[in-house]
Amino acid sequence: MTLPSQFIPHGRFEAFVRNLIGARSVIGPVAKKHKFIFAPLKDPKALRLDYDVTLLPPKKVLFPVRQDLVAFDAAGGRSCIAPTPQVLLGVHFYDIKALDQLDVLFQENHADNNWLAQREATTIVGSSIQAVAPRAFWGTVGKEAKPRGHDAFLTKLPDGYLMEIRTPKGEALLAHGDFTPATATQIQQGQSIREDLLDQCAEKLKWSSDEIAHATRAAFGMNAIWEELAKTCFSCGTCNIVCPTCYCFDVQDNWNLDQVSGVRTRAWDGCLTEDFAKISLGAGACENFREERFQRYRHRLMRKTAYLNKKLGGPACVGCGRCSAGCVPDIADPVRIISRILEG
Amino acid sequence: MSEHVCTCASPHSNVFLPREAEILRAKQVTAGEKHFTLKMKDGPPMDYAPGQILEVSLYGYGEIPIGFASSPTRKNTFDLVIRTVGRVSGAVNKLAQGQSLFVRGPLGKGFDLSQLRGQNILIVAGGIGLCPTRSLIQYILDRRSEFNRFLLFFGAKSPKEQLFLDDLAEWRKSKDVEFHETVDRADETWKGNVGVITTLFKTVNVTGDFRVVICGPPIMYKFVIAELKGRGIPTDHIYVDLERRMKCGIGKCGHCQINDVYVCADGPVFRYKDIEHLQEAF
Repeated sequence: MTLPSQFIPHGRFEAFVRNLIGARSVIGPVAKKHKFIFAPLKDPKALRLDYDVTLLPPKKVLFPVRQDLVAFDAAGGRSCIAPTPQVLLGVHFYDIKALDQLDVLFQENHADNNWLAQREATTIVGSSIQAVAPRAFWGTVGKEAKPRGHDAFLTKLPDGYLMEIRTPKGEALLAHGDFTPATATQIQQGQSIREDLLDQCAEKLKWSSDEIAHATRAAFGMNAIWEELAKTCFSCGTCNIVCPTCYCFDVQDNWNLDQVSGVRTRAWDGCLTEDFAKISLGAGACENFREERFQRYRHRLMRKTAYLNKKLGGPACVGCGRCSAGCVPDIADPVRIISRILEG
Repeated sequence: MSEHVCTCASPHSNVFLPREAEILRAKQVTAGEKHFTLKMKDGPPMDYAPGQILEVSLYGYGEIPIGFASSPTRKNTFDLVIRTVGRVSGAVNKLAQGQSLFVRGPLGKGFDLSQLRGQNILIVAGGIGLCPTRSLIQYILDRRSEFNRFLLFFGAKSPKEQLFLDDLAEWRKSKDVEFHETVDRADETWKGNVGVITTLFKTVNVTGDFRVVICGPPIMYKFVIAELKGRGIPTDHIYVDLERRMKCGIGKCGHCQINDVYVCADGPVFRYKDIEHLQEAF
């Protein structure tokens, strides 16, 4: 079923967002000093659909930095899964692709309802990119994967927003605004705007996903390259934390003050950190399976370019550029790493 | 930290919610290791295959991955041996008979019994590696007619660190298993072989037609595998039971990942041929 595309003039858009906030819990991009974050929207004026990229990806809405899994007391444990309906508004297409990937990864093996339940309860509205982040390369990475997991998509046109409806959940939002059916010209205009954008990133990958995966796998044993690239890595894990497709986590128990009840939580973790693959053997002995910095650095790049491609139908990198921008010694940029491997 | 009060009654199943298991027996077997026999408190009994793992936890302390140390042929109960190495294992090892711990599982893939039945079997177990392999040892002994020759090599650092002393005494006398043991360092009580586990290959004729299972400390694998290759045992007849930091046990958290492979979901038992190319495996 193809659902009709809709149009709302700029002058009526704020009222739509206000109505939505009145009816649902809405999360969208807002300014934080000179950067942007996804945050609960209280005032439609705070919505900044002109953002370039957010500091943390929208995965945090479904997979919080700290997430309660099981609450416990003297009687035992209880599941903390309690999905709440919400609207995630203004997600760029590359971040939608990342959410699609996490849907696959949390579903496979043992389905993890700690992600899936909140995902199901969330309505996702994408939005066209209005400003290009300096380190973004979404125009040339994983082009074979199209964004799927969204319910509606907003494209800014000169006189208003085109709202393309993808699912009945997306259609249900129309009741909150003065939408009219979009014209064929408006739909065509929206498509052109989105296609033209793909060429706007300053950074570009020159190779296909398969060529890159093949090359990085072939370079796995070339330790000298990885050591050179990782030489100034702090093992801080920032590249993991800001990544929209990273989903590694640690699980920890914390007691409440009564020291009887408490909660088992998971928290974001990063494979770049030193003890990520370390095990204790007893009597103070331990084994670290990725002890060297270059091994951890290589592991991240392999995960982004090769390891998960078969499961995901493309690389586990969507080109947001957050890792490139967040890395203090500036050595995390996938475009530079891939180019170094392929071009020498 | 804020006080947490969970009021949810979610219809969604939660893969992180463990089940309670009651401790039927708890025995300190070495200075650092405790042997538990457990029974599920409510619901169906634990239904597992030799070589699979459990996430074992105590609320307030956390979870650790532990391999089953008994065979599913011993019905209704299961054994775990836990070495005190950190916060969780330290707390679990203070528990006694009648108390409970919490488990999630069974998880992962165990030994491929269809490939082992009807074959000559060699199990090479080093130290605490005897615990997960005991699930297979018991299975073979309980269904002895389904297997051919059965060789068992066990190495410990010292006689005091040997596990399952009752089992060892039984295996030494048994006609169902050709049991060979060694210690790295002998004491005045020890009259057997001294040396690392590969020294046993000098005294026992292991032919090329064996299916071999290896479990032990990380350093052990490459030396044992070299011995096996020297005897013409193909890599698809060698199985390794790997230890990693399997934090979630369900192939998500990433800590146990070796190249493309999640040890907790794709293993912890692997056919060596399938992972020998993985450069982070050994």
